[in-house]
This record gives sequence, structure tokens and C-alpha cells, in this order.
Amino acid sequence: MTRVPLPPPTAERRQTVCQFCIVGCGYRVYKWPVGKDGGPAPGENALGIDFRQAQPPLGTWIAPSMHNVITERDGRRYNVAIIPDDECVVNRGLSSVRGGGLAQTLYAPDRPTKARLGAPLVSDGQKLRAMPWDAATDLSARVVKAVIDRWGPDAVGMKFFDHGGGGGGFENNWAIGRFFFSGVGTKNASIHNRPAYNSEVHAAGDAGVGALTNAYADAELADTILIVGANPYETQTNYYLAHMVPNLNGDSLSLKRQTFGAEPVDRGRMIIVDPRRTMSVATAEAAGGADRVLHLQIEPGADIALLNAIARVILDRRWHDIAFIERHTERQTFEAYQRSTLAIDRPIESVVSEAAQIAKIPEAQIYQAAEWIAAPKTKGYRRRSLIHYEKGLIWGLKNYENVASIVDLGLLTGNVGRPGTGISRLGGHQEGYVRPAYPGGRPALNVDEAVRRGEIKVYWVGGCNPVLTTLRAEAMEAAFLERGKPVHAALAATEGKPVGARVAAVVEALKQGGMMLLVQDIYLTATARHAHVVLPAAQWGETDLTSINGERRLRLYEKFMDPPGEALPDWRIIANVARRLRQLYLDDLNPKMANRFLDYDWRTNEDVFIHARYSFKGDNKDPMEGYAGVTYKLLRELGNNGIQTPTRLVNGVPVGTVRLHEDGRFGTPSGKARFIPAPLPWPGYASKVAKQRERYRFWVNNGRNNHVWQTLYHHQLVPFFQDRFPRPYLEMHPQDAAPLGIESGDLVELSNDMGKVEAMAYISDSVKPGHTFMLFGQPRGAVGDLVSDHVDPATTIPYYKGVWADIRRLRADPKLKETVSFLPQNIAE
Amino acid sequence: MTEKEKSSNRGCVGCPSYGSFPVARRDFLAIGGAGLVSLAAARGSRIAPAEAAESQPAFPVTDIAPLADIAAGAEMNFYYPDADSPAVLLRLPSAAQQGIGPDGTIVAFSLLCTHKGCPVNYRADRTILICPCHWSTFDPSKKGSVVIGQASEPLPQIRLRVMEGVVQAFGVDGLIYGRHTNIL
Repeated sequence: MTRVPLPPPTAERRQTVCQFCIVGCGYRVYKWPVGKDGGPAPGENALGIDFRQAQPPLGTWIAPSMHNVITERDGRRYNVAIIPDDECVVNRGLSSVRGGGLAQTLYAPDRPTKARLGAPLVSDGQKLRAMPWDAATDLSARVVKAVIDRWGPDAVGMKFFDHGGGGGGFENNWAIGRFFFSGVGTKNASIHNRPAYNSEVHAAGDAGVGALTNAYADAELADTILIVGANPYETQTNYYLAHMVPNLNGDSLSLKRQTFGAEPVDRGRMIIVDPRRTMSVATAEAAGGADRVLHLQIEPGADIALLNAIARVILDRRWHDIAFIERHTERQTFEAYQRSTLAIDRPIESVVSEAAQIAKIPEAQIYQAAEWIAAPKTKGYRRRSLIHYEKGLIWGLKNYENVASIVDLGLLTGNVGRPGTGISRLGGHQEGYVRPAYPGGRPALNVDEAVRRGEIKVYWVGGCNPVLTTLRAEAMEAAFLERGKPVHAALAATEGKPVGARVAAVVEALKQGGMMLLVQDIYLTATARHAHVVLPAAQWGETDLTSINGERRLRLYEKFMDPPGEALPDWRIIANVARRLRQLYLDDLNPKMANRFLDYDWRTNEDVFIHARYSFKGDNKDPMEGYAGVTYKLLRELGNNGIQTPTRLVNGVPVGTVRLHEDGRFGTPSGKARFIPAPLPWPGYASKVAKQRERYRFWVNNGRNNHVWQTLYHHQLVPFFQDRFPRPYLEMHPQDAAPLGIESGDLVELSNDMGKVEAMAYISDSVKPGHTFMLFGQPRGAVGDLVSDHVDPATTIPYYKGVWADIRRLRADPKLKETVSFLPQNIAE
Repeated sequence: MTEKEKSSNRGCVGCPSYGSFPVARRDFLAIGGAGLVSLAAARGSRIAPAEAAESQPAFPVTDIAPLADIAAGAEMNFYYPDADSPAVLLRLPSAAQQGIGPDGTIVAFSLLCTHKGCPVNYRADRTILICPCHWSTFDPSKKGSVVIGQASEPLPQIRLRVMEGVVQAFGVDGLIYGRHTNIL
């Protein structure tokens, strides 16, 4: 019989935040020795709850998924329960499907998570074998040094996470950034999900607005919430459920009245721009009524045209915020924006009708959206619109102009820096960015191309999996294989020899076109399988970390268990290599290089956190995540509500920032925001993309979903998630599937000029005919294999959503049909 | 709404009002489930848990309805394993995993959503169970698996069998919401 043990009153308690999505829900951790369970009476368990009777709805419960048994390094076994924190203002006691399964992701030697890496590994030419840390650190440092000395710092490539949450955080980001930028000094750097070291929202930065401007409370206060290219029910779950839904269903009306006094308020409206009818659309309609939800089901790449047409309507109706524009924006940028982006020389009818044709939506919807966003309320009050966007826009047709179009719309309507407004990414993962400046320029170098061209001699990949997620991924894996071979051979030939001989052999291999791959991760990923050296990292819960969520809320994610085996926090792995490099350069009598690897003697996680904090002092370049005065002690006191960055010191005490730009100042030299004009209302498809689009029949939209996180690195090891999606699914419209003989549960093949990939068909009317949607980055079928190598030349950001392919049925899979549900994923009532 | 009820709503500002939230048996009619059946007396037997790792009380055996009375499309509410645990029996249009009856279409589930414990609704035209609070949806033909939503456990499936022409509940797969063990 299923039961969960209850924590005794003496259980250890820790605060933490979910390791997964940007929202960063608070969780409480209880840990107690196996065999020392608490009892059901309130005084017998740490929750103080009477479990002799069933808990009421919305009460506190430990679901089986929230419990696990772990084994520490000393062999002692503990129960761990991780339950949502009802005192956290972010999630208010709610868990998502991902957060509800946090306990299942913990390392346990008797569970599938035993796959965790516990020792450094080195290739013997055939397979990876365990190696002592000192030797792995020494070998890595010597190869990096040899490459810098012979080919220069740009021959050291890096691809690392820059995020918060699981694995990330200020500590690791600071150590990694400092090592590669101030230490090695490479320009061939790239971020986990893209081929370069660049912002995904350069346009928002150039505008002086930034990425995360609002507080989650603003979603309870807005008159209208605009969501472009995002699916918040599934992928920003508790921001949506605990803050947006109460606005739609009227639960936040009293808060609105209390906040706005005489200003007229009503239940909120929502506009969702998404080519799919997602669960977000269905649940918004269930919460607010279909008449208060506008779903603009556009064609791929049409968002720029749509947003600019909406802006043009607002301008023509004189609904724009003239006072805001005059006071807070640079005048000449507004004029340029009207001329080029909004094409004021053309009649409004022609701009709107062109956009409606590109998007294949009725013109009336464009006028209606403009009205919902900007038509004044009664008594002349300005409408408060909260403007959100994410990957549908960011990874769209033309990254720079896409982001510009929505930021400009927000500036035009003055929707930033006031309660109930904001111009913000919805976000994917959490943040925790603190690094020295990237030494390269803009547009940043494309590291994927540098790998393929042979310019990278040692490639250090950490906490990401480009074999599954990069663009033109088949070619990237082929490069890893081809260029990795001579290095594997060199390591095989020198096994057991002194390290000097091994490094010399590796350098010879690099001279012949080889590339050494160092992978730092928690699992042996598809990328790590190609590695020459694997460095095992600690994960969330195994080391103290700090991160911010989508409203810049900074919290401490406490350690509550040991990492497996000899795994170390990422910052410590980097620091060990840095210290070794310093010694090697000192031995070389090269103090100049040795000093680039000075000051890696951090003893604790907080040492790194504070070191990074000081680097931000007085630096206004990235004010979003500065955290003056914050210590671990303060964060422990503040618990899961933390403090919103940036912080400033008032009489020596750190004070947070609820929302950005309330002081009317923007991140430009003038302090005024800038409109970012585009040459045309719609740029059209780049030639490489246009060619693929003409040649192949189906658009392959792709992204994340509700259940599973990123590349499934954890979730493929947890039966609940693995059983739900044993293979990546491909949503296909019934009208498209029927003529091809495809049914739900069939295996299909997608192919185009970049590669081939298999998926499990999931017939659904959430997609329009001609459109499909596939889970991205999956180990059993990576959409990356189909993505062309086109990037926005202005930003080096790929058009990951711009994939077209042909589809054919391969075969039925009776087991999938029997065990996997293919009921619609967008029914809410 | 009492203070206690209010505080229990803290986790769900977006939910419908829970002033008279129906969970206990006495309130069950308020849910309005189709075909509420009277709870027949259990036949007095107890089923020892199959995978009991430690000594625990056994599941009761509870009659739900005569097999002959379960028509196509049937939806019957009952309580199992005790009067605080609402459940639903469904006769689905096609065979289900762990379904019973001549065509394997009869299944039963706890009605309490494994996310936050609200009672789920059955939508017959889509053969899907939907929670009105945060919209977790469950597939009754696939062992209550979460189609989409925030529940991190399948909906607990009630084990059914036919004895002397009567459908009986005799066990539960999974943990019912709000409990640390199914038999309190």
C-alpha cells in the first residue's frame, strides 16, 4: 500500500526554491533519518498537521512524488520531503507538476538517478574511465594552458550555462565567467542554448528597458495582460495560476480597488499571441470567460508585423502615452520609429491589412488588440497593460526586430514602471547573472562555426547539451566525432604515461585538426559521451546557491544533502583548475599569465557570492541583478520571499526594488528610454529560411511543455515523466495526419535539408493545418537536427522556431498506443 | 467563509470560492455527480494489501453496483475506502487499462485531484477528468495518468472486481490526496 512517511518534529528544515522554471516557487525541505518517522497526530510531525484525518482541499499534503530516500556520503540514509511553501508570495503553497516532483530528482543509489556522475572520467580511446580529481584538474589545466600558449585564448571555446536555478546561480556564474573572460580571455564563448555569448534581448537592453521589469503582483493589477510567444500555464505555471488567473476571474478586484482608489477597475483581459491553441488559452478562457480572452493564432514569423500594426492603430487612435513619451523617451528615436517601423507615410488600412495577411488573422482582431491594450478607461484613466514575451518572439524570425517591436509597443503606451504594467520576458530558466564583461564585440562570434571550422582546440562545455539543443545539431555532433577522434587516440596511446607526455600527444592531435572536449555536468549526457574528460558537478540541493526569479526575487537555495561520490560544485571545479593554471604559469616564470588566475581561494559558496557582489558595486551596466549588501545571513532571515534585485543600501541596509523604472530612469546614457526603429514594419524571411519554407510542407514549431524540463536530464530518470512522454511528441492537425495515415502513437520521421528526426505523433487541433509542434531538445529525437544554421546577423541569435520539414509515417508502436494518453492537452472545462 | 477556510484557501487565490467545499460524504450531493449510488454495506471481508511492506490495516471490500446496472456511459459516485474519500466509477466507450467488465471498460478513481485535493469533474464527450481548481486533467483509460496539469501523481485508481454479479472495490493504486496512508 502506498504511504508516505511523515517528518518528525525533530526533522532538519531547509528553505529552497524549485530548480526548474523562471518562476522560482518556494519549497520547504524536511530531512530525517530512516526509521525515525513522525506520527499522524499534530504534535508528532514537523508539519504540525493532524494526519489522522484526510486534509481538506488546498491543504498541506506530502504527495508520494514529494518524498525520497537518499544516502549520504557516509552511508547514512535519510528521508527527504520537499513540499510547496504556503508562505512564499510567489507560489502561495502551489506546486507545479515539475516542482511537485523535485524529490524524485535527488541522487539515490537505488533509484534511476544513480546515473549521476560521481567521479572524474577520462577517455581511454574506447570508453570513459574514472580518474582522481587531482589528475583530472591537472590534465585539464595543462591542455588549456598549452592551447592558450600555442594558439591564443580564442582557441579555448566555452559553452556554459549562465542561468540560475538548478545547477546555476550567482556563485557558479561568477566563477565560470571570471575564469573564461578575465582568466583565459576567450571571445569564443557561448551560452547554454545558443551559439554565441550574447543577450537574447539586445533590443530591450538598447532601449534601456531591460529584460525583467515588473513584479508578479502587477499581473494581479493589470487591465490587460499581453502574452506573446509564451505558454504560461505550462511553462511559467505558478506565476500564471497564483497571479494572472486571479486577475482574470476577478479575485484580485479588491486588491485593484485598494491600490488604485478612484480609478475604474474591472476583471482583467488577456491577449495571447501564439500559433497554437495551448492550455494557456483554454485555461484563460475557463477563468475569465472567452469574451475576455483574445487569442491571435498567427502564422510563423508574423509577430513583428502584428505588433507593429497594433502599435500603428494605437498611434492613429491617439491612444499612445504622449506625456510618458515626452518625458521619458529620446524624441528623435520616437520620430524614427513612427516613420520606419510604423510606416506613417502609408495609410493605416494598408499596414493593418498587410499584417493581417501575413499573420492570417482577421483585421478586426488587430483593432481589438489595440483597443484592449491602449484605449483609455472611463474618466480618462490610462489603461494598465502588462506586456510579456518569451521564446516565440525571441527565437523568431529576426531576433533584434522581434524584441524591438514589443518593447517599442510598451514604450508607446507608457506601460512600464507603474503598478499593473511592465515590458518583460516571461523567462525560461531562472537567472543569476554576474560575470565580467564578455571580451568580444557585437554581434558575438558564432562558436558553433568556430568548432566546425577547426578554430577551437579545446572546448569546455558545462551544464548544457549542444548535441541535442544547438542549431544544425547533426553537424555539431559530426564535428565532435570527427575532431574528437585524434584526441581519443592520443589519450589511448599515452595511458599510464606521465601527464607531460599525455599533454604533448594531445597537442599533436590538436595540430592535426583534433579538438579536446571537456564536459562538466551532472549526468553523462549525449554531449558528454563524446568527451575526453568529464568533470562531475554537484546539483541543486547539494550546495548552497542563490538565484533570482522572473520578478528579480533573490533567495538562498540551501544545501540539504551531499553530492554523489566526489562531485563538486561548478565553482569549485573551476577554481581548482584556475589555481592549477596559476601554479603552472608561475613554474613557467610567467607572472603576467599567472596573475590572470589570481584569487580563486574561495573557501565557501558565500565567499564566491560576496566576491561577485563587489564586482557589481557601482556598475550600472547590468543593474538588473546587482545585490549590494546582501549576505547569506540576510537571505536566511528573509526565507523564501527573499529580496528583489537590484538592491541599494539605505543607512547600510539593503532595500530591494519591486519594479524597475518607477523612478522614470532608464538604462541609457541619457536616462531616457529609446525606441528601436526597424527599417520596415515586417522584415520578411531570410533567404536560407525562405528556401526551407518553400521546399518542405510542414512548419515544425518547437519548444517546452508542462511536464518535462529542457533536455529531460532528470525527467528521463523519473517514471512519472518518462511514462508520460517516452518519446518526444509531434502535434499534428487531424486534417494533415489523416491523408498520411498517421494516428496518435505512430512513430513518424521528420526530415529536411539539415537532418532527420523521429517523433511520436500526437494528433491535436491545438495546431492549425500545416503547422506542427514538437518538444525540443529531447534525447530520443532532437529538433535541433532540423534547425538551419541561420542566425540574426545583428545578434547571432538563431531562428529556432523557423523549421520546415516533410513528415512520413514510420510504423505503429502498440506499446505507446496502449500506455500513453493522447487525450487533448488543451481542455480546461 | 470561516477564518480557517480562508487560510486554507491561501494556496489558491485563483480558485473558485470554497466556502462550502464538498468533500465529506454528507456534502457529496452538492457535487452533483450523475447517478449517485447508495453505499451498499461492505460484505465484511478485508483485503490484505498486496505490497504491504509493514503491518497496515487492510482495504475494505465495498459493493458499488450490480454489473448489470452499469450501462454504457455510466458515471457513479461512491466512497472508498471510507466515507471521507469520494470516488467515481465510469464505464468508458472503449477498453481501459485495468478496466473490468465484459469489455474491460469499467474503471474507478478517487475524485480528489492529486495536486491540491479539489474534486475532479468527468467530461464524458472527451472521456477526461478535469480539476476545476488548477485544471489538471487525467485519462481514466490510462491508469489516471496526468494528461496535462500540475498534479505530480496519477489519479489513484480504485481496484475493482466482479463478485456474484456485483462490482466491488477492493483496493487503491496510489495515495489518495490529503492522506499519508490510504487507510486512516
